[in-house]
Amino acid sequence: MTVTLLSRHAESIFWLARYLERAESMARILEAQSSFQRARPDQEGWAWILALYSDQENFAKKFSEPTAQNVIAYYVTMLENSSSIQACVRAARENARALRPLISTDMWMQLNDFYARLLGLTENDFSETKLSRSCDSIKRGCYAAIGVAENTLYRDESWPFFRLGLFIERADQTSRLLDVQFAQRATGVMQDLTPEQQAGVWNALLRSASAYHAFRRAYHRGFDPADVARFLMLDMQLPRSVAFCVGEMRRMVRKLRCQFALRNAQRAFDRVEAFQTELEKAGGNGNFLAELHVLNDWVQRELIGLTAELGAAFFGQEKEDAGAGQGSEQKQTISSQVQSQTSP
Amino acid sequence: MATVTLLRNPGTSATLDGYDADAFYCELLGDRDNPNRDLTKLWHRLQQMELTDLASRAKDAERELFMLGITFTVYNERNAIDRILPFDVIPRVITASDWAVLDAGIKQRVKALNLFLWDVYHERHIFKDGMLPAELVFANSNFCPAMVDYDPPAGTYIHISGTDIIRDDHGRFLVLEDNSRTPSGVSYVVENRHLMQRAFPDLLEGFAIEPVSDYGLHLANKLGEVAPPVLTDLQIALLSPGVFNSAYFEHIFLAREMGVPLVEGRDLFVEDDRVFMKTIAGPRPVHVIYRRLNDDFLDPEVFDKESLLGVPGLMRAVRKGNVTLANAVGTGVADDKAVYAYVPRIIRYYLDEDPILPNVETYICREPRALTYTLENLDKLVVKPVGESGGYGICVGPKATKAQLDECRELLKKKPDNYIAQPMINLSVCPTLVEDAVEPRHVDLRPFAVTGRETWVLPGGLTRVALPKGSIVVNSSQGGGTKDTWVLRGGAH
Repeated sequence: MTVTLLSRHAESIFWLARYLERAESMARILEAQSSFQRARPDQEGWAWILALYSDQENFAKKFSEPTAQNVIAYYVTMLENSSSIQACVRAARENARALRPLISTDMWMQLNDFYARLLGLTENDFSETKLSRSCDSIKRGCYAAIGVAENTLYRDESWPFFRLGLFIERADQTSRLLDVQFAQRATGVMQDLTPEQQAGVWNALLRSASAYHAFRRAYHRGFDPADVARFLMLDMQLPRSVAFCVGEMRRMVRKLRCQFALRNAQRAFDRVEAFQTELEKAGGNGNFLAELHVLNDWVQRELIGLTAELGAAFFGQEKEDAGAGQGSEQKQTISSQVQSQTSP
Repeated sequence: MATVTLLRNPGTSATLDGYDADAFYCELLGDRDNPNRDLTKLWHRLQQMELTDLASRAKDAERELFMLGITFTVYNERNAIDRILPFDVIPRVITASDWAVLDAGIKQRVKALNLFLWDVYHERHIFKDGMLPAELVFANSNFCPAMVDYDPPAGTYIHISGTDIIRDDHGRFLVLEDNSRTPSGVSYVVENRHLMQRAFPDLLEGFAIEPVSDYGLHLANKLGEVAPPVLTDLQIALLSPGVFNSAYFEHIFLAREMGVPLVEGRDLFVEDDRVFMKTIAGPRPVHVIYRRLNDDFLDPEVFDKESLLGVPGLMRAVRKGNVTLANAVGTGVADDKAVYAYVPRIIRYYLDEDPILPNVETYICREPRALTYTLENLDKLVVKPVGESGGYGICVGPKATKAQLDECRELLKKKPDNYIAQPMINLSVCPTLVEDAVEPRHVDLRPFAVTGRETWVLPGGLTRVALPKGSIVVNSSQGGGTKDTWVLRGGAH
């Protein structure tokens, strides 16, 4: 089999998927927040979302108070914020533009249309009463984009890179969600809440990961925090759990190594296999909640490491630079946005 | 206007009733004394369409072009803005007999220009025989010393050409310009047809039209003919300046239609005088590059040292015969304005044939008789400087003031070598949908020819239409649009 996929295109398709997944996660988190904030009288309000993306400092440069309105503006329409929904979809579209010789016309049309609709949304569309509906429409735009890709992308060697981008980003998002929520629990904020209020927090968390109904099916009663954490981290049937995502990553890297006979995939394969084994072991830990933060830290490092390994093996990046988180400084122009950045 | 009257529906008003092509040659009326059956059929069909229906479908068609991304891109500080080339839904039709002439004429022209370029970069017979002043070519900035004594496969320098052709009052085809470097527009030819097939199946119904959608296949085959000897896995690539180039859609189109990678300079490198592209499986050899990058940017080792778009060492690989560039470097001396005037002589010199397609009559002012004629008829002629920076300094006699004519006269006397003169040509017109009517608008034609060992011409080509009333400027930057161009099959029905 002759492999002719350019390194640059592989990198672009990887980031196309990451940006779509990132925009989708953001929309879902904002939607869940708007629906369930009243269940959380813990003064945290919208600020926890800033903590989720370690954005407190950047946010403070633009706004004084983390009010709902400000946080929403920061994460939806502010193009200067590279993790805002509009910036993510724009970056996805710019990557798609570079990939137009490879992707389907349908995929380009959908993204074009989606981006145009997104740009048409105004502040009014994100007012308290409309936020949920607007976020839902954004989410569906992302679903559609990923769905068109699923239905139309030619399954050559570019496909694993699309899936790898998707699942690395998704694992990253789920792991962040878990970490921030359980960090609050550790600081004792939760202890002051009534059991009903605590249940509200877990409910919102699960909905932020599209996992509420699935959780109910797996655990019929209550919200045991350890159950929630295990479910989001380890459940192999939940498409947003970290373990599920890692399983998909392993399948995709294996495809590159075996089906496309890419020898340079071997290191990434070894890495993702070890990742999976370690994660399974962590599930056996009797004191899962106590170790959760350490585990999340490790998951984050593994995801960055795997991204760097892909960069070195396939995208032609220097080993030292790969995935080290640069890029945001360089991305003043549209041109360098096609040159993707790493995780927020 | 007898024909137009005959075509009118008595008693009712229809779409084309107000149409008046005046004294211009109309592409849809054709030879008015000897009407073509197909053209008349199309006329009647258009007559039966409601103007409002035509307009609303035209609007849908343009929206579809936008959604499909058949666009060119303009940039401001924050955003990339995609625009479509305006599309007119009334097709331009070329009859089978007219096309036979165009097809033969274009092939003849490309053949002669390729022989000319070989001569320029090898023996230089034409200059020794005194047929062409040597300095026209060798003092021209498009002449490329790095190409001297390089033998391109099959002797082909111009693989892809787009010849700009106009039609005068009498319906005579005239060549206005040869585009022998990187002519663009072919993607619109194919996409316009696909759009018409989707949006106006009722208009196309029953006409036998030459297909255009196999352009990519022909192109890939022709490029394969000029590849260096490769045992297996011939690799063609399309080299683009990148997503910021305004013709990026066309690059995508060409890469997709040929099924080859769309590369940028940064995706390629040269090692041991061989070209490789950087793939996820490591370096992969490339043998033919259809480059949509100007000569200057191709190789910083030889040309513009600041260029980041090109590939260092590319010309070494070319000269070693390890890679073929299409088009070859240095073809700009063949489509220069000054050389243009000599093309009819070039055809006679190399092929010993009369040109099938005439040039617009051109007076080469470096020749004493032409100069005398030009000076005597300044008020009737368009005088153009031939310098490579052409475009400005043109004196349009019939529209010039006395002072401008006097100034032009002085310049001509001082430096006659620098000028050519041509009569004003009334471009042909085609019915075109404007605000709320169908009116005549001026058109030209750019057929595309692809040459490997032999030449193939895509039937039809790009019809550009000057949308503002009375305008003869068809360029997209100045209100030009495009039309679907039909070549009717001979002998059908």
